[in-house]
Amino acid sequence: MATETDSGTETDRAPATEQGTGTGLLDHQRKEWLLGRGLYAIAGALLVFLWIPLAVMMILSFAVNASTFFPFRGFTLAHYAATFADGALMTSLWHSVQVATLAAAIATLLGVLASFALARYAFPLKETYRTFGILPMVIPGVVLGIALLIYFRTLLPQLFGITIVPGFWTIVLTHSVYGLPFVLLIVTSRLYTFDESLEEAARDLGVDPLTTFWDITLPIVAPAIGAGFLFAWIRSFEDFIRAFFVRGTMDVLTTSMFSMIKYGTAPKMNAISSFIVFVIAVVLAVAMNVGNVTGMVAGTESDEE
Amino acid sequence: MATETSERGQSAREQFVGAFTSRASKLGITSGPALVWLFLLLLTPLTFMVAVSFTSVDTLTYEIIWEPTLGNYNQLFAGQGPFWQTAFFQSLALSYFIAAVTTVLCLVLAFPLAYLLARRGGTTFKVVIFLVLLPFFTMYLVRAYSWYLMFGPSGVLNSTLMRLGITNGPLGIFNYGVPAIIVGLTHAYFPYMLLSLYASLDGLDFSLTEAARDLGASRAATLKDVILPLVLPGIISGSLFVFVPALGAFITPRFLGQGKVLMIGQLIESRINSLYAIGYGSAASMFIVLSIVVAFALAFRYVSIEDLGGV
Repeated sequence: MATETDSGTETDRAPATEQGTGTGLLDHQRKEWLLGRGLYAIAGALLVFLWIPLAVMMILSFAVNASTFFPFRGFTLAHYAATFADGALMTSLWHSVQVATLAAAIATLLGVLASFALARYAFPLKETYRTFGILPMVIPGVVLGIALLIYFRTLLPQLFGITIVPGFWTIVLTHSVYGLPFVLLIVTSRLYTFDESLEEAARDLGVDPLTTFWDITLPIVAPAIGAGFLFAWIRSFEDFIRAFFVRGTMDVLTTSMFSMIKYGTAPKMNAISSFIVFVIAVVLAVAMNVGNVTGMVAGTESDEE
Repeated sequence: MATETSERGQSAREQFVGAFTSRASKLGITSGPALVWLFLLLLTPLTFMVAVSFTSVDTLTYEIIWEPTLGNYNQLFAGQGPFWQTAFFQSLALSYFIAAVTTVLCLVLAFPLAYLLARRGGTTFKVVIFLVLLPFFTMYLVRAYSWYLMFGPSGVLNSTLMRLGITNGPLGIFNYGVPAIIVGLTHAYFPYMLLSLYASLDGLDFSLTEAARDLGASRAATLKDVILPLVLPGIISGSLFVFVPALGAFITPRFLGQGKVLMIGQLIESRINSLYAIGYGSAASMFIVLSIVVAFALAFRYVSIEDLGGV
């Protein structure tokens, strides 16, 4: 196709808007084509970069020799069997699920309420309030972990006479603060685009405020609340460093996995890690088809496909 | 509670609704709980951490001696030689270097992909975003571990190269160390940069770039004078979300440094966990906190906190 137009280009020029700069049409087209292909090639290479270590790990989780490919000795499910038979690991997985659920529930309750305050009312120091609400997400885990460790272990008992033994509840409290910003950001962005005249209409028609909230406001905001909960849950579930500092002697999944790597038990680590990637893939695929996860994550509002 | 005094037989439901009638009570009920929580579990611990960095700790009872001292800060920079040879200063400088390189690498890699995502919709978009988000939602620890398998003298990279006969022995570049850490951190925080850039490129009016091209601007000039200024907020917020966590990283340098590289997060952790040296740890943490405050202060000259939405 490009060769056919070759001779005609000099005389039959397309309108100037199509042409862009003074280069010939063939040249221009080829450049466009190359740039387009180049962009796809870069994107492809990046996806390979993002996926190759995870893919290697997943293959190794089924391999007899679990740390490198060579010499290859065949596939097995033995690592998975051993992993799910590991009582201590399964207990820590259960702890993680409990911690994440409780922490995300607290974060969601506090975050939703705070979002209403931020989106609906003007009050003094509102910007400061918002900044503090977002702060736990921004502070590095090492800093928050140490601050809370000192707080729970030394300051609360010494200065205030309150003793919370580091363990389950200290991790829940820590993660409830850590999860708050994720709920806050998602729910406020939803509330900002909320058409309040819907509530006014309901009230004008004689509905009491509680029913208005239940029948009008909540259904509209619910997807954002759900996404906020999911985010807070995942953040808690995958957090290592905060839990590591405030856990006392209790193990959650990440801290167990950390000791497994430290003491070099690769087979189980590959299996449990691959299992988690698989579970998250399923959850994410479902979530992406149910709600606008992309919009929530990228902070852009409802550009439905 | 107040059923006796309330005027004739108010139902519990009406009382509940009544509690929300005044503006002040609504504001209190909505903003209060999070405020209490943030005060108790964020503001107070952080404030005390600053205070602890200026006190000393009884080494036997671990009780804090509330007398102001600069001892912890002295300890950070005290050693045999000048201050730039102390373990703390070197790990701080190294952490800055690693975080900066990671940020630049993320920016360079994420830009083309974010541009592609902003220009192409439909299936391409959905598939690519799924493939990007999945590693992002996968546990951070798992991702650091997956690179731990790749690197090392007998890791997947080296053993594959040797098996294929490309090299005779393990390559130093694929051993554990600074390059491995940078790759691991780039992998870990790449999605933050991508999503920030995407959010800002997605709001970009591409007829502006077409106009620039029509008026004779080269591609490079269009990128430099039209696209970059408009996506600057995205670049800045993305860079913050890569630089800040990379500076305080712990797991990645631990696995991919294998003791050869000591970043500041590890240094603090080892002092706290082996010695419960909370004074030293707090003082060292202040340098991370201060760096972040400076980074954000600089960033807020160009973006508002609203732009830091999303992740």
